[in-house]
Amino acid sequence: MSIAHHPGDELLLSYASGAANEAVALLVASHATFCAQCRARVQRAEATGGRVLTDMAPVPMSAQAYESLLARLDEPARAVVQAAHLQSDVPAPLQAYIGTDYGALPWRHVGGGISHLPIRTRGGMRARLIRAEPGSGVYTHTHKGEEWTLVLTGSYTDKTGHYAAGDVQSTTPEISHQPTADAGPVCINLAVTDAPLVFRGLLPKLVAKFHGF
Amino acid sequence: MDVGEAARLNALVVAVGRAQDRAAFQALFDHFAPRVKGYLMRLGAGNAVAEDLAQDAMLTLWRKASLFDPAKASASTWMFTIARNLRIDAIRRERRPELDPNEPALLPEAERGADESLDWAQAEDRLHAALAELPREQAEIIHLSFLAEKPHSLIATELGLPLGTVKSRIRLAMARLRQALGDES
Ligand SMILES: [Zn+2]
Repeated sequence: MSIAHHPGDELLLSYASGAANEAVALLVASHATFCAQCRARVQRAEATGGRVLTDMAPVPMSAQAYESLLARLDEPARAVVQAAHLQSDVPAPLQAYIGTDYGALPWRHVGGGISHLPIRTRGGMRARLIRAEPGSGVYTHTHKGEEWTLVLTGSYTDKTGHYAAGDVQSTTPEISHQPTADAGPVCINLAVTDAPLVFRGLLPKLVAKFHGF
Repeated sequence: MDVGEAARLNALVVAVGRAQDRAAFQALFDHFAPRVKGYLMRLGAGNAVAEDLAQDAMLTLWRKASLFDPAKASASTWMFTIARNLRIDAIRRERRPELDPNEPALLPEAERGADESLDWAQAEDRLHAALAELPREQAEIIHLSFLAEKPHSLIATELGLPLGTVKSRIRLAMARLRQALGDES
């Protein structure tokens, strides 16, 4: 699979450093399941973290620290996290949030072939899935902040280009766009925003308010 | 830290993983625990919390050492990811969506290869040199990302720079670091 649109270096760096909030981390980790290049780039950035740790001025541990740790070495470890289902088309990092079957989710219908589903994350940004039937378009919208969209299944097109499974589109506040799902499989996206979307026109605004976009 | 020191730390983690070698573990504790504590305090943790989490990080090292693969990362990088994740979990109380790069099902066969043969102790030595040679304004932003934990929009505001400038500095810096590692030109 070849990926045409990757998250920017600033996103990969913030994921590797740990500065990214949970929603952005979810998007980057999910993209990386599609993309060997970004997996490698994250590893490179983590190596920078290794340097940062090496260069860190050491702060002495208390006198009993090692002894008290020794007493814990034989404690049983907590249960290991359940392994990801590799048969699923839901990326492994996303499975912890929504399970393994897009079809089984409680989609909220917005109208015009579009449904969505908020994903609960902490740390300030909003993550949600957007599901678009072939040929349906999300309302024209602008953003107060940045928005990142990872295509999970299917594909869509807007005035900036064509986005297929694995691609990440980054949009900035000044861009107004109207993505339309292509013919073919249903298009499901993971969208992360740092501010509510601003829909144009009265009806979309009411719909957006009602559905908590 | 020179190549020899990086290789020594790698070998110690491998010894813990293979044989629960407690002497090796103590040497790793002496090296890493005070640095992890320093890292956590630099990011705002108090002394007691940082000490507890540094202990937890060492316990994680003990338990997961058998998973450590020096062909994928140096011991320092591996320890950094452990400390980073513990901090996100315990202090920020967020989940950390983690990609396990060792998960073979995620790696298309054709795209494997080059990485695996890299000697990470040497590669990270080159990375260190490249970091030291970064222009000051690029190094500043890389360090802020690791040690200030601010979104880049906030870093931009505090430095009085447009967000686009911060992003382009990050791109330039990351490209240089990748070049130093020799895997992308
Ligand atoms: Zn990518």
